[in-house]
Amino acid sequence: MKVILIGFGIIGKGVINVIRKKREYLKNKYGMDLKVVAICDRSGAAIDDNGLDLELALKVKEETGKISKYPEKGTSMPIVEVVKSIEADAIIEATPTNIESGEPAKTYIIEGFKSGKHVITANKGPLALYFNELLSYAKKHNRIFRYEASVGGAMPIINLAKETLAGNEIIKIKGILNGTTNYILTKMEREKLDFDTVLKEAQELGIAETNPHQDISGLDTAAKIVILANSIMNMEVTIKDVNIEGITKITPEALSMANKGGYTIKLIGEVSENKLEVGPKLIPLDDPLNVKGSLNVAMLNTDLAKEVIVVGRGAGDVETSSAILSDIINIYLKNK
Amino acid sequence: MIILDLELKDTPGELIKALTPISKMGINIHSVIHLREKKVDGRIPVRLVVGDLEDKILNEMINKLEKLDVTITKVNTSIRKRDIDLVVIGHVVDTDIRDTIDRLNKYGLVIDLDLSMPDPFKESSARMKIIVDSEKLNDLYNELDKLSKEKNLLFIKSF
Repeated sequence: MKVILIGFGIIGKGVINVIRKKREYLKNKYGMDLKVVAICDRSGAAIDDNGLDLELALKVKEETGKISKYPEKGTSMPIVEVVKSIEADAIIEATPTNIESGEPAKTYIIEGFKSGKHVITANKGPLALYFNELLSYAKKHNRIFRYEASVGGAMPIINLAKETLAGNEIIKIKGILNGTTNYILTKMEREKLDFDTVLKEAQELGIAETNPHQDISGLDTAAKIVILANSIMNMEVTIKDVNIEGITKITPEALSMANKGGYTIKLIGEVSENKLEVGPKLIPLDDPLNVKGSLNVAMLNTDLAKEVIVVGRGAGDVETSSAILSDIINIYLKNK
Repeated sequence: MIILDLELKDTPGELIKALTPISKMGINIHSVIHLREKKVDGRIPVRLVVGDLEDKILNEMINKLEKLDVTITKVNTSIRKRDIDLVVIGHVVDTDIRDTIDRLNKYGLVIDLDLSMPDPFKESSARMKIIVDSEKLNDLYNELDKLSKEKNLLFIKSF
């Protein structure tokens, strides 16, 4: 199987590391010879139809910051041209999320389908804004579209709902879908520290981004809720339809108050037929949704299996790459 | 059989207080189950199973229990009352807490209030428990939304 990787940042490098680590495993278990025939970043691309030397690609990126500096095979060819002209079975789209326009990821995904490639993405932006449009391209070109890594990182939720729980009607999904806010609220609760202090510490530790707006305002969770609503519950909604409240007003006193009543406070995203909401909620201390640190958790209410709960790591390069790898394997097995 | 879910204060004598009028009405009590593991905020859910009753007698029994301040949350599968726990963040006192409670009491009953004011010039926090008839739940939520906008208060609700 030949793949093109678009985006060589934290997630892209994580994907390459996971492929390196699992190469023999994939051969032995699935008979799959996985070749990365192109890696793209802002500088251009490295292209080799026989498969790139992944260790060398990582070294070049580490030393120069530019994949186009890859010896002999490096090029300044624009990403869209790589997607259109290089022969491959699938593209792995791992560029940074743009929640306002979904670009440039949206273009790469569409061009991928148009050029006959399956698409795997970890990118919330285009999914939250243009899910049905992207899906229509996949259908039109008879290609597979997989996006497990876009919600909950390593925590399996989309494929769990669509495949493992096939036959069940999903009535409601609620959960913690943002690890940064969970880390902040957990730390505030345990150490009685105020929001700004914990946010600063989380930024220093690399848990929160330098610009944490999308996380703490609830926008990131809202994007994920929209993806779940559209992909699992067949709704046609966008991020504008979500009622959003973030966690910036939460105080340590409020957390203590909640604790006295047998609750904690968590930023919960919820989707059901009548509700599309993100906001802080009181969660009973003994509830399965009360997971600590930067963990993610989701509860799916179904008609047959009733409540199903998944917990997992919602971020991290290797963790997110594990979801991407599961999508690669799924596509390979479906086309074997 | 009729299944009633009650909520009792976790103090001695509360269960006897609830069972006495039922017994005096000659109603057959099949079982009483304390759901201690589900205790929230000092109140213990109790499940009561009684023999079949005519609607008139059932309503009479419910009225008697409610007069004794016993909360009946569910009769068979029909949810009658809901407990809503809230944490409120903002200038809870300065925005006239009496008015906030009065407006919530139009749709439910605020039965518990706890206030934390770490600094008189900073935002405070309050914890409330409200008992509300199921059919008035949406009205209560609408009032919370109005109060939130008018008084810049954040109401964090339980599910």
